[in-house]
Amino acid sequence: MGHSAMSVGAPHGGLIEGSPYGIQSKKLAMWLFIIADASTFGAILFAYGFLRLANPGWTRLFAFSPTIVNGIAMTVVLLTSSLTMVAAVAAARSGRKPTALRWLGATMLLGVVFAALHLREWFAMIGEGWRLFRNPMGGSPLFGATFFGITGLHLLHVICGVIVIGVIAAGFRRGRFDADHVETTSLYWHFVDLVWMFVFPLVYLMNVR
Amino acid sequence: MTATPAGRGPTMQVYVLLWLGLILIVAIEVFLTYERLAAGTLLACLLLLALIEAALAVMYFMHLKYERPALFWSLIPYLIFALVMMDHFWPDALRLMRQRLPGS
Repeated sequence: MGHSAMSVGAPHGGLIEGSPYGIQSKKLAMWLFIIADASTFGAILFAYGFLRLANPGWTRLFAFSPTIVNGIAMTVVLLTSSLTMVAAVAAARSGRKPTALRWLGATMLLGVVFAALHLREWFAMIGEGWRLFRNPMGGSPLFGATFFGITGLHLLHVICGVIVIGVIAAGFRRGRFDADHVETTSLYWHFVDLVWMFVFPLVYLMNVR
Repeated sequence: MTATPAGRGPTMQVYVLLWLGLILIVAIEVFLTYERLAAGTLLACLLLLALIEAALAVMYFMHLKYERPALFWSLIPYLIFALVMMDHFWPDALRLMRQRLPGS
Protein backbone atom coordinates (compact mmCIF):
# COMPACT_ATOMS: atom_id res chain seq x y z
CA MET A 1 0.00 0.00 0.00
CA GLY A 2 1.43 3.37 -1.00
CA HIS A 3 1.81 6.32 1.30
CA SER A 4 -1.03 8.18 -0.41
CA ALA A 5 -3.46 5.35 0.37
CA MET A 6 -2.19 4.89 3.90
CA SER A 7 -2.54 8.52 4.85
CA VAL A 8 -6.19 8.86 3.79
CA GLY A 9 -8.10 10.30 6.70
CA ALA A 10 -5.00 11.14 8.69
CA PRO A 11 -5.60 14.53 10.31
CA HIS A 12 -1.99 15.67 10.59
CA GLY A 13 -0.33 13.92 7.70
CA GLY A 14 0.66 10.86 9.73
CA LEU A 15 0.74 7.36 8.29
CA ILE A 16 -2.66 6.21 9.55
CA GLU A 17 -4.47 3.60 7.53
CA GLY A 18 -7.96 4.61 6.38
CA SER A 19 -11.05 2.95 7.81
CA PRO A 20 -12.03 -0.21 5.87
CA TYR A 21 -15.62 0.97 6.24
CA GLY A 22 -15.00 4.47 4.88
CA ILE A 23 -16.66 6.10 7.90
CA GLN A 24 -15.41 8.08 10.86
CA SER A 25 -14.51 6.20 14.02
CA LYS A 26 -17.32 7.87 16.02
CA LYS A 27 -19.88 6.62 13.51
CA LEU A 28 -18.42 3.10 13.64
CA ALA A 29 -18.50 3.26 17.46
CA MET A 30 -22.17 4.25 17.32
CA TRP A 31 -22.93 1.32 15.01
CA LEU A 32 -21.17 -1.08 17.40
CA PHE A 33 -23.13 0.38 20.32
CA ILE A 34 -26.36 -0.03 18.35
CA ILE A 35 -25.62 -3.69 17.57
CA ALA A 36 -24.86 -4.35 21.26
CA ASP A 37 -28.00 -2.52 22.35
CA ALA A 38 -30.07 -4.40 19.75
CA SER A 39 -28.82 -7.64 21.32
CA THR A 40 -29.95 -6.38 24.75
CA PHE A 41 -33.43 -5.53 23.50
CA GLY A 42 -33.48 -8.80 21.55
CA ALA A 43 -32.75 -10.74 24.75
CA ILE A 44 -35.53 -9.11 26.78
CA LEU A 45 -38.04 -9.36 23.92
CA PHE A 46 -37.23 -13.06 23.42
CA ALA A 47 -37.60 -13.64 27.18
CA TYR A 48 -40.93 -11.80 27.13
CA GLY A 49 -42.10 -13.71 24.04
CA PHE A 50 -41.44 -17.11 25.59
CA LEU A 51 -43.03 -16.10 28.92
CA ARG A 52 -46.06 -14.74 27.05
CA LEU A 53 -46.56 -17.95 25.03
CA ALA A 54 -45.80 -20.22 28.01
CA ASN A 55 -48.64 -18.63 30.05
CA PRO A 56 -52.02 -19.37 28.42
CA GLY A 57 -53.73 -17.21 31.07
CA TRP A 58 -51.58 -14.16 30.27
CA THR A 59 -53.47 -10.95 31.06
CA ARG A 60 -55.00 -9.30 27.98
CA LEU A 61 -55.24 -5.85 29.42
CA PHE A 62 -55.27 -3.28 26.65
CA ALA A 63 -58.51 -1.81 25.28
CA PHE A 64 -58.53 -0.10 21.88
CA SER A 65 -59.32 3.18 23.59
CA PRO A 66 -57.40 4.62 25.30
CA THR A 67 -54.35 2.31 25.30
CA ILE A 68 -54.00 1.22 21.66
CA VAL A 69 -55.03 4.67 20.38
CA ASN A 70 -52.37 6.13 22.68
CA GLY A 71 -49.86 3.57 21.36
CA ILE A 72 -50.67 4.47 17.74
CA ALA A 73 -50.20 8.16 18.58
CA MET A 74 -46.85 7.38 20.23
CA THR A 75 -45.76 5.37 17.18
CA VAL A 76 -46.68 8.18 14.75
CA VAL A 77 -44.89 10.73 16.96
CA LEU A 78 -41.72 8.62 17.04
CA LEU A 79 -41.80 7.89 13.29
CA THR A 80 -42.27 11.62 12.62
CA SER A 81 -39.31 12.39 14.86
CA SER A 82 -37.17 10.16 12.62
CA LEU A 83 -38.26 12.24 9.63
CA THR A 84 -37.39 15.51 11.39
CA MET A 85 -34.02 14.00 12.33
CA VAL A 86 -33.31 13.15 8.68
CA ALA A 87 -34.23 16.76 7.78
CA ALA A 88 -31.84 18.01 10.49
CA VAL A 89 -28.98 15.92 9.05
CA ALA A 90 -29.78 17.18 5.52
CA ALA A 91 -29.74 20.80 6.68
CA ALA A 92 -26.54 20.32 8.71
CA ARG A 93 -24.80 18.66 5.74
CA SER A 94 -25.74 21.53 3.42
CA GLY A 95 -24.50 24.14 5.91
CA ARG A 96 -27.95 25.55 6.84
CA LYS A 97 -27.27 25.77 10.55
CA PRO A 98 -30.47 27.61 11.70
CA THR A 99 -32.64 25.15 9.75
CA ALA A 100 -30.75 22.19 11.20
CA LEU A 101 -31.22 23.57 14.72
CA ARG A 102 -34.96 24.02 14.13
CA TRP A 103 -35.29 20.39 12.96
CA LEU A 104 -33.24 19.17 15.93
CA GLY A 105 -35.56 21.18 18.21
CA ALA A 106 -38.59 19.59 16.52
CA THR A 107 -37.06 16.13 17.07
CA MET A 108 -36.50 16.88 20.76
CA LEU A 109 -40.06 18.20 21.10
CA LEU A 110 -41.49 15.03 19.53
CA GLY A 111 -39.31 12.94 21.87
CA VAL A 112 -40.70 14.84 24.86
CA VAL A 113 -44.28 14.34 23.56
CA PHE A 114 -43.59 10.59 23.23
CA ALA A 115 -42.23 10.42 26.79
CA ALA A 116 -45.20 12.42 28.13
CA LEU A 117 -47.72 10.09 26.42
CA HIS A 118 -45.84 7.10 27.76
CA LEU A 119 -45.67 8.41 31.33
CA ARG A 120 -49.38 9.31 31.27
CA GLU A 121 -50.14 5.70 30.41
CA TRP A 122 -47.77 4.40 33.09
CA PHE A 123 -49.34 6.58 35.79
CA ALA A 124 -52.83 5.46 34.76
CA MET A 125 -51.76 1.80 35.13
CA ILE A 126 -50.03 2.47 38.46
CA GLY A 127 -53.23 4.20 39.61
CA GLU A 128 -55.14 0.99 38.80
CA GLY A 129 -52.80 -0.97 41.09
CA TRP A 130 -50.25 -2.29 38.57
CA ARG A 131 -46.74 -2.73 39.97
CA LEU A 132 -43.56 -4.48 38.81
CA PHE A 133 -44.64 -7.73 40.49
CA ARG A 134 -48.35 -7.16 41.22
CA ASN A 135 -51.18 -7.89 38.85
CA PRO A 136 -54.47 -6.38 40.14
CA MET A 137 -56.42 -8.56 37.69
CA GLY A 138 -55.14 -11.75 39.33
CA GLY A 139 -53.14 -13.08 36.35
CA SER A 140 -49.42 -13.64 36.04
CA PRO A 141 -47.47 -11.07 38.11
CA LEU A 142 -44.82 -11.20 35.38
CA PHE A 143 -47.05 -9.01 33.18
CA GLY A 144 -46.05 -5.90 35.15
CA ALA A 145 -42.39 -6.95 35.24
CA THR A 146 -42.20 -7.45 31.47
CA PHE A 147 -44.35 -4.42 30.58
CA PHE A 148 -42.63 -1.91 32.85
CA GLY A 149 -39.21 -3.48 32.20
CA ILE A 150 -39.36 -3.39 28.39
CA THR A 151 -41.18 -0.08 27.98
CA GLY A 152 -39.10 1.46 30.80
CA LEU A 153 -35.83 0.52 29.11
CA HIS A 154 -37.12 2.00 25.85
CA LEU A 155 -38.35 5.14 27.59
CA LEU A 156 -34.92 5.52 29.19
CA HIS A 157 -33.40 5.42 25.69
CA VAL A 158 -35.84 8.10 24.48
CA ILE A 159 -35.05 10.41 27.42
CA CYS A 160 -31.28 9.88 26.93
CA GLY A 161 -31.77 10.58 23.20
CA VAL A 162 -33.54 13.88 23.87
CA ILE A 163 -30.72 14.95 26.22
CA VAL A 164 -28.01 13.89 23.74
CA ILE A 165 -29.73 15.74 20.85
CA GLY A 166 -29.93 18.82 23.10
CA VAL A 167 -26.21 18.63 23.89
CA ILE A 168 -25.27 18.07 20.23
CA ALA A 169 -27.59 20.91 19.09
CA ALA A 170 -26.04 23.31 21.61
CA GLY A 171 -22.52 22.34 20.50
CA PHE A 172 -23.50 22.54 16.82
CA ARG A 173 -24.89 26.06 17.38
CA ARG A 174 -21.63 27.18 18.99
CA GLY A 175 -19.54 25.51 16.27
CA ARG A 176 -18.05 22.95 18.64
CA PHE A 177 -19.75 20.04 16.81
CA ASP A 178 -20.21 19.56 13.06
CA ALA A 179 -22.63 17.80 10.72
CA ASP A 180 -20.88 14.44 11.34
CA HIS A 181 -21.85 14.67 15.02
CA VAL A 182 -25.46 15.38 14.04
CA GLU A 183 -25.46 12.37 11.69
CA THR A 184 -23.94 10.07 14.32
CA THR A 185 -26.59 11.20 16.84
CA SER A 186 -29.28 10.57 14.23
CA LEU A 187 -28.20 6.90 14.06
CA TYR A 188 -28.99 6.52 17.76
CA TRP A 189 -32.36 8.26 17.40
CA HIS A 190 -33.40 6.08 14.45
CA PHE A 191 -32.40 3.02 16.48
CA VAL A 192 -34.71 4.13 19.32
CA ASP A 193 -37.48 4.41 16.72
CA LEU A 194 -36.59 0.98 15.34
CA VAL A 195 -36.85 -0.69 18.76
CA TRP A 196 -40.34 0.76 19.23
CA MET A 197 -41.38 -0.96 15.97
CA PHE A 198 -40.95 -4.24 17.87
CA VAL A 199 -42.16 -3.08 21.30
CA PHE A 200 -45.51 -1.76 20.06
CA PRO A 201 -46.72 -4.94 18.29
CA LEU A 202 -45.21 -7.43 20.76
CA VAL A 203 -46.02 -5.72 24.06
CA TYR A 204 -49.20 -3.80 23.16
CA LEU A 205 -50.93 -5.46 20.20
CA MET A 206 -50.31 -9.01 21.47
CA ASN A 207 -52.13 -8.07 24.70
CA VAL A 208 -55.36 -6.47 23.45
CA ARG A 209 -58.65 -7.52 25.00
CA MET B 1 -36.42 19.92 0.97
CA THR B 2 -34.76 18.11 -1.92
CA ALA B 3 -31.26 17.73 -0.53
CA THR B 4 -29.88 14.33 0.27
CA PRO B 5 -29.14 14.03 3.98
CA ALA B 6 -25.57 12.78 3.75
CA GLY B 7 -24.52 13.89 0.34
CA ARG B 8 -25.58 10.58 -1.24
CA GLY B 9 -28.70 8.53 -0.94
CA PRO B 10 -32.38 9.28 -1.37
CA THR B 11 -33.99 12.70 -1.40
CA MET B 12 -36.33 14.02 1.31
CA GLN B 13 -39.32 13.09 -0.87
CA VAL B 14 -38.24 9.45 -0.67
CA TYR B 15 -37.94 9.74 3.11
CA VAL B 16 -41.47 11.17 3.33
CA LEU B 17 -42.77 8.25 1.23
CA LEU B 18 -40.89 5.86 3.50
CA TRP B 19 -42.45 7.53 6.56
CA LEU B 20 -45.92 7.10 5.04
CA GLY B 21 -45.11 3.45 4.25
CA LEU B 22 -44.06 2.79 7.85
CA ILE B 23 -47.28 4.34 9.16
CA LEU B 24 -49.23 2.14 6.71
CA ILE B 25 -47.48 -0.96 8.09
CA VAL B 26 -48.45 0.10 11.64
CA ALA B 27 -52.07 0.45 10.45
CA ILE B 28 -51.90 -3.09 8.98
CA GLU B 29 -50.55 -4.39 12.30
CA VAL B 30 -53.46 -2.85 14.22
CA PHE B 31 -55.94 -4.20 11.64
CA LEU B 32 -54.53 -7.74 11.91
CA THR B 33 -54.67 -7.57 15.73
CA TYR B 34 -58.46 -7.15 15.64
CA GLU B 35 -58.94 -9.93 13.06
CA ARG B 36 -58.80 -12.38 16.00
CA LEU B 37 -56.10 -14.61 14.54
CA ALA B 38 -54.58 -17.44 16.59
CA ALA B 39 -51.84 -16.16 18.93
CA GLY B 40 -49.04 -17.93 17.02
CA THR B 41 -50.27 -16.70 13.63
CA LEU B 42 -50.70 -13.14 14.91
CA LEU B 43 -47.22 -13.21 16.46
CA ALA B 44 -45.69 -14.43 13.17
CA CYS B 45 -47.51 -11.72 11.15
CA LEU B 46 -46.56 -8.93 13.58
CA LEU B 47 -42.93 -10.06 13.71
CA LEU B 48 -42.72 -10.20 9.91
CA LEU B 49 -44.15 -6.70 9.56
CA ALA B 50 -41.86 -5.39 12.34
CA LEU B 51 -38.85 -6.92 10.56
CA ILE B 52 -39.86 -5.19 7.29
CA GLU B 53 -40.16 -1.88 9.18
CA ALA B 54 -36.79 -2.43 10.86
CA ALA B 55 -35.09 -3.29 7.56
CA LEU B 56 -36.47 -0.13 5.92
CA ALA B 57 -35.37 1.99 8.89
CA VAL B 58 -31.85 0.50 8.97
CA MET B 59 -31.26 0.66 5.22
CA TYR B 60 -32.73 4.11 4.54
CA PHE B 61 -33.13 6.19 7.73
CA MET B 62 -29.85 4.85 9.16
CA HIS B 63 -28.29 4.98 5.70
CA LEU B 64 -26.72 1.50 5.83
CA LYS B 65 -27.71 0.90 2.19
CA TYR B 66 -25.43 3.76 1.14
CA GLU B 67 -22.39 2.75 3.23
CA ARG B 68 -19.70 0.35 2.04
CA PRO B 69 -20.94 -3.29 1.94
CA ALA B 70 -18.17 -4.19 4.43
CA LEU B 71 -20.06 -2.32 7.16
CA PHE B 72 -23.27 -4.25 6.50
CA TRP B 73 -21.46 -7.61 6.40
CA SER B 74 -19.54 -6.83 9.59
CA LEU B 75 -22.59 -5.86 11.62
CA ILE B 76 -25.84 -7.47 10.51
CA PRO B 77 -24.88 -11.19 10.21
CA TYR B 78 -23.44 -11.03 13.74
CA LEU B 79 -26.66 -9.56 15.09
CA ILE B 80 -28.81 -12.13 13.29
CA PHE B 81 -26.58 -14.94 14.61
CA ALA B 82 -26.89 -13.60 18.19
CA LEU B 83 -30.69 -13.32 17.90
CA VAL B 84 -31.02 -16.83 16.41
CA MET B 85 -28.93 -18.22 19.27
CA MET B 86 -31.23 -16.47 21.76
CA ASP B 87 -34.22 -18.02 20.02
CA HIS B 88 -32.60 -21.44 20.40
CA PHE B 89 -31.45 -21.16 24.01
CA TRP B 90 -34.34 -19.33 25.72
CA PRO B 91 -36.71 -22.33 25.39
CA ASP B 92 -33.92 -24.48 26.81
CA ALA B 93 -33.83 -22.20 29.87
CA LEU B 94 -37.58 -22.80 30.39
CA ARG B 95 -37.03 -26.59 30.06
CA LEU B 96 -34.29 -26.49 32.72
CA MET B 97 -36.69 -24.71 35.11
CA ARG B 98 -38.99 -27.75 34.98
CA GLN B 99 -36.21 -30.31 35.46
CA ARG B 100 -35.77 -31.93 38.85
CA LEU B 101 -32.61 -33.48 40.21
CA PRO B 102 -32.90 -37.22 41.03
CA GLY B 103 -34.30 -37.61 44.55
CA SER B 104 -35.42 -33.99 44.88
